[in-house]
Amino acid sequence: MLDYDALAVELQKLRENVTGVTDTVIAASDGIPIISDVAKNVDPAHISALAAADLGIARQAAEVIGLGTLSQTVVFGSTGYMAVYAIGRMSLMVALGDKGLNLGRLLHESRPVIERVGSILAP
Amino acid sequence: MGNAGGLFHLCDGVVIAVDSPGSPGVETLLLSSGRISAESWAAALAESVQTRSLQAALVARGNIGAAEARVLAVAALRDAAFAAAVGDVERCVVDEPVDEPLLPVAEGLAVDVVLSETGRRLDAVASLPVSLSPYRDRVVAASGAESADSTSERREIIAHATGRRSARDIAFAVGRGLYPVTVEVARMLGEGLLEIASPAASFSFAHGSLASLHARAEAGSAPAGAEPPG
Repeated sequence: MLDYDALAVELQKLRENVTGVTDTVIAASDGIPIISDVAKNVDPAHISALAAADLGIARQAAEVIGLGTLSQTVVFGSTGYMAVYAIGRMSLMVALGDKGLNLGRLLHESRPVIERVGSILAP
Repeated sequence: MGNAGGLFHLCDGVVIAVDSPGSPGVETLLLSSGRISAESWAAALAESVQTRSLQAALVARGNIGAAEARVLAVAALRDAAFAAAVGDVERCVVDEPVDEPLLPVAEGLAVDVVLSETGRRLDAVASLPVSLSPYRDRVVAASGAESADSTSERREIIAHATGRRSARDIAFAVGRGLYPVTVEVARMLGEGLLEIASPAASFSFAHGSLASLHARAEAGSAPAGAEPPG
């Protein structure tokens, strides 16, 4: 079985270390949630599907336009953000945040998390 | 740099603005509190690209008065300085400005004034009857709190105290300053209207029972949570 406890530790640390992160989801790249830590009014399945679609298009755009490797794709709203990161080719991580989220810090803190989650999912 | 960290904008030796992920900025203070609409804000921002002053655009559009704009800018500055100081500071970097602050305080505040006010607020929070970390402690409404007789501000705090939110998160949700919300949350904890949330309430992990990602992919259309074959 996947080490869900280890995945939970990573998601908890991300929410604790990056002020403004409100919900997190790790999903497979086809949009099926693997593990989530979300508020009651957030549907992990819905978020995963949206994030997978978002990431798919962003990756294609980066490739077609010649932007290099995709680092993150972010939806900017007037009251918050959704940031999506690829974890290898088979999975992704979503972080939802409120307006105070510092996206630069999130990207910075996410990198080691992405590596560790990648090894947990594909040991 | 830190958690929450903060960006101090200095100009000619005075502080003209401070931004921090720990405290609501002027946009959140105006929008989340319902003071102005998102459309008005967007329109004022668009205008300010030409005029180079968001304050002038907001005032010209009649969204807020000039005096209110200044009060807001000063309040946001003080709150962000407090937000940076009450968290963890990892290191300090001095750099050239990248972005102009949205609503700078004209003529700024003297550095020693900002320092002493921030120190005063740190002391006030440290000597609250209930000790509360604005970032780490997450709070939940106590049972019966919703029906208790409270001010509208308190009822708003109770409504947003889901167990996942810290005082800082609640400040963002209601569009009020980190410092006043922290003090109010501490008081409400003391009065039994709020409780510190259990870890199970603050972090709730939901997951299926996949054996591995690869096995699931090989199984083709097997739904998440299904046992892999063999």
